[in-house]
Amino acid sequence: MASVGGGSKDTLTLNLYPMLDIFSILIVFLLMSYSTDPVSHDVNSGLELPDSVTMVTLDELPAIVVTKSELFVNDKKVADVVNGEIPRAQLGESFQGAIRPVYDELKRIADANKRIVAATLNDPAQVGKTGALTMEMDKGHPFKLMKRIMLSAQQAEFVTFKLVVTRIEN
Amino acid sequence: MRRKRKGIKRQDVTDIELNIIPFIDVFSMLNTFLLFSAVFVATGIIEVQVPFLSNAPQPKEEGQRTLEVKVDAAKDKLQVITEYSKEPRNEQKFDFPNTKEGMDRMHERLVAIRQANPTQDKLSFFSEDDVIWESISAILDAAKFRKQTDPVFSFKNEKTGAMEQDQQFVFPKIIMGSVIL
Repeated sequence: MASVGGGSKDTLTLNLYPMLDIFSILIVFLLMSYSTDPVSHDVNSGLELPDSVTMVTLDELPAIVVTKSELFVNDKKVADVVNGEIPRAQLGESFQGAIRPVYDELKRIADANKRIVAATLNDPAQVGKTGALTMEMDKGHPFKLMKRIMLSAQQAEFVTFKLVVTRIEN
Repeated sequence: MRRKRKGIKRQDVTDIELNIIPFIDVFSMLNTFLLFSAVFVATGIIEVQVPFLSNAPQPKEEGQRTLEVKVDAAKDKLQVITEYSKEPRNEQKFDFPNTKEGMDRMHERLVAIRQANPTQDKLSFFSEDDVIWESISAILDAAKFRKQTDPVFSFKNEKTGAMEQDQQFVFPKIIMGSVIL
């Protein structure tokens, strides 16, 4: 109010140092949380993860994402999900209950991985090694859907699954 | 020195103010960027395996009499089954309700089984089709992870002969048995 009316020549100076302190602390905190998490992954908005007491942190981005209504393999939509089921028409030429489009996509990835491993490793024993997949799935989906996806992946030589959950305190 | 100091003329005291506004601008931008890209939900993983048919030769342990531990999940019931791989099989079944209390009791039973058989680190998990993933993850939690109040499982490593401890897990290896059934 000091300068209002032009009568007084007093100027008010705002002390900005406390704000600077807060900013510094906030930046340090945010940068620290960046460096401690090996993988920073934003959960898909179309799904809710179940809670778990696991201490094992996420080490790679999910390859399979099953939202409430869609199924993605490496960000590519491969099937719809209706009431926790894959529509029969999209199952494809299914074998033992697997999902054909998921199998095809994973098989393509597995073959590409094998070619890369064969080109970089001299040990032929390592080439045929089975792979691991990270899977993120909505907590409301039934085991039947999970089983179908796991079976499709198993046929494509992925036998280890890292199931993504929300970490809570033990 | 003293002379020199004496010789210096005393000047008027002037306030030197550092212009911190650009500094604040940079901090604000950095804060905004970091807050937007920050992830506030801590995600973790539960590692499981599915059975895999292989042409590789059977391991030597196949000939030994080992304990097999299974967990069978239904919508309202959980069952722990223990059985030896060879005669006498001594099959035992323990039933629990599929509730929070039931899972706690199942966890205690599994801890007791692991304590009695510390070298046995594998558990087969079976589930009915209509059990939802939220319920399965809670069952896997109870079967796989050790609580702070649980005892530490010490066992002898067959390969190295050294004593080892399982600090984090009750059953570290979970096999999703129902996948190929």
